[in-house]
Amino acid sequence: MAGKITVLDPRGQPSGVFGRRSSGDNPGTILSPRVRPVDSREAMEKLQMADRLDTLEGKLIYLVDVGFPGSKEFLEEVAEWFKENMPTVKVVYRQKRFDPYSDDPQLWEEIHAAGGDGVIIGVGG
Amino acid sequence: MESEYRIPTVPVVTARFEHYVQNDSRNHGMFLRYVFPPHPVGFIPKEKLRGYVDGLNPVSGKPLMPEMVEALTKPLTEEEKNPVIEKRPKHPRLLPPDTEENLHRLFLENGWTDGLPIVLPTEERVAEMLTGTDRDPQEVVGRMSVTTHQERLEYTVEKVAVIAVMAGCRPEHLPVLLAIASTEIPAFPSSTTSFSSMIMVNGPIRHEIGMNCGLAALSPFNYANAVIGRAWTLMSINFGDARPGDTFMHSLGHPINYNNLCHAENEEDSAFEPYHVEKGFKPEESTVTLFRGWNYNGINLGPAKAMAEALKRQSSMGRAGTFLMDPLVSAHLKDEGFKTKEELRQYIANEAETFPQMINFIVVGGQTNPMWVLTDYTPSITVSIDKWIPKTGIKKDEKPLRMPQPVLCKDGICGI
Amino acid sequence: MSKNLITVLDPRGQPSGIFGKVLDLSNPMAILDPEKQPTTTLESMTGQKMADRLDTLEGKTVYLVETGFAGAADFMKEVQGWFQRNMPSVKTVLRSKRGNMFTDDPELWQEIKENGDAAIVGVGG
Repeated sequence: MAGKITVLDPRGQPSGVFGRRSSGDNPGTILSPRVRPVDSREAMEKLQMADRLDTLEGKLIYLVDVGFPGSKEFLEEVAEWFKENMPTVKVVYRQKRFDPYSDDPQLWEEIHAAGGDGVIIGVGG
Repeated sequence: MESEYRIPTVPVVTARFEHYVQNDSRNHGMFLRYVFPPHPVGFIPKEKLRGYVDGLNPVSGKPLMPEMVEALTKPLTEEEKNPVIEKRPKHPRLLPPDTEENLHRLFLENGWTDGLPIVLPTEERVAEMLTGTDRDPQEVVGRMSVTTHQERLEYTVEKVAVIAVMAGCRPEHLPVLLAIASTEIPAFPSSTTSFSSMIMVNGPIRHEIGMNCGLAALSPFNYANAVIGRAWTLMSINFGDARPGDTFMHSLGHPINYNNLCHAENEEDSAFEPYHVEKGFKPEESTVTLFRGWNYNGINLGPAKAMAEALKRQSSMGRAGTFLMDPLVSAHLKDEGFKTKEELRQYIANEAETFPQMINFIVVGGQTNPMWVLTDYTPSITVSIDKWIPKTGIKKDEKPLRMPQPVLCKDGICGI
Repeated sequence: MSKNLITVLDPRGQPSGIFGKVLDLSNPMAILDPEKQPTTTLESMTGQKMADRLDTLEGKTVYLVETGFAGAADFMKEVQGWFQRNMPSVKTVLRSKRGNMFTDDPELWQEIKENGDAAIVGVGG
């Protein structure tokens, strides 16, 4: 049977709807597509990266532990590196609340209010 | 942090996930400045971690910490300041005409299958499949993604019929597939831990479409169980956009992903009320319940105390899970004094020091052995199938399949 | 979908005249390996005969052999109790088969031949 036939494309179509971080209040929502927060292409197009710093010397840098295994230990080594190599950088270690998949606006607000200059967040893996 | 608080940020992710997070980042309109230490950072000695911090980023080949400093201090490029989210085009309904051989090759090479042979979804076959429901073929059923953050793909009744054809289903199976698709839950969400899922059907549709709830219900003998289970997997690939290495990161993968333990509950031989009735549905309503977890831990024998002990030992989901029990077990448990699933649930929860609502029971099997299996599956959702069934009832084929009837126990033999 | 008649091959295996046999006690795990599992042939099996029945069990010695399946030992104790209550002249001897439920125990069969008149073996299930 060498004749040509036509079949339907099995793939779903792009919807312009994207997933979003779960709210910290209900981290379990990540397990249910029906209640998981979503984002739209339009809203995401407005996102902007922050301007970079001229230097880290004398700045306040937050080391944010997301909760994956090894994150705490890795960030401790990062803090140690700053102490040895850039001692004027002030580092503050903080753990993100809830699980690695949830947002933690309270912490972002705190970093902002405390005058944090930069953030190193991790370790995803 | 970047957009709302205007604080420069370095996301640190292990190198194994470079491709994954870069894709995710593009999806979100920002080319974030990731820095990648070697993988993994968990469960390794401190000296090794120190080596990672003092060493190189295996992706860029540059010293890791100076790269972190640079990520916070090097001015943004124009591309970084004005990111564009790539808009994915809609696919045409039909693929370009080709020979059967080439089309089979195309489906395999594009990763649209589970690796097993499929039935090609021609217009004629899909039209025949659509006779299994009254719903408008262009009605949107839902959107799905195997990841949490990427774009969800949308699918219609017709797309579900396409998947049904590919999986080898017949029109009478379509209502169950539409009910599953309507949940928007993929069979295998992308987690490095390799999730698996389970499908369980209750109500009259079990027998109308020839599902097996009796002997060997979970083994590869029954047509309906096999193709319905497979179809959820094909949906998850094509609607959930599962692409290994891009959107799908199971480390070992899971063999249950082929068929998702698809079965029906043995309501007739159970000493307890059916699962869906317990969840508030009417006995005459047909439902499908989806479960998620990792492990199927057989074989176990013994009374409720042994069940509680097994749950207490289970580590993956804590003390939560679903017991699959042969009808013989349900009868023995009733003899032990548990009149309802609820009484049994309370007892096991007390013994195992957990919450009753974290324990579920399904009765399935052919009564050749009083065994039960503890899974670490927890129910995601139970949905009604009835609204997807045609008003005239399940489509009966002119020449129905003479599949073996579910092998259930004859009255009296098993003492139930 | 073509309606033309086509011919396909039968997928089923063919009868071989080879059957499985009870396992030798020296290697009970052979049940897991078809290459080592003892086999027998249709020809040798056709020569087998059932033993003549007894006129009565009264005053006879009946061996109750439990095979090792769950519940078998308890069940045989109940059978023994029944004989004691209902046919007290029957002498019953409770024995467990050596090895596991899948292995042969020729020594026990020899002992029963020497000392017994009949056997009840079970419970398979």
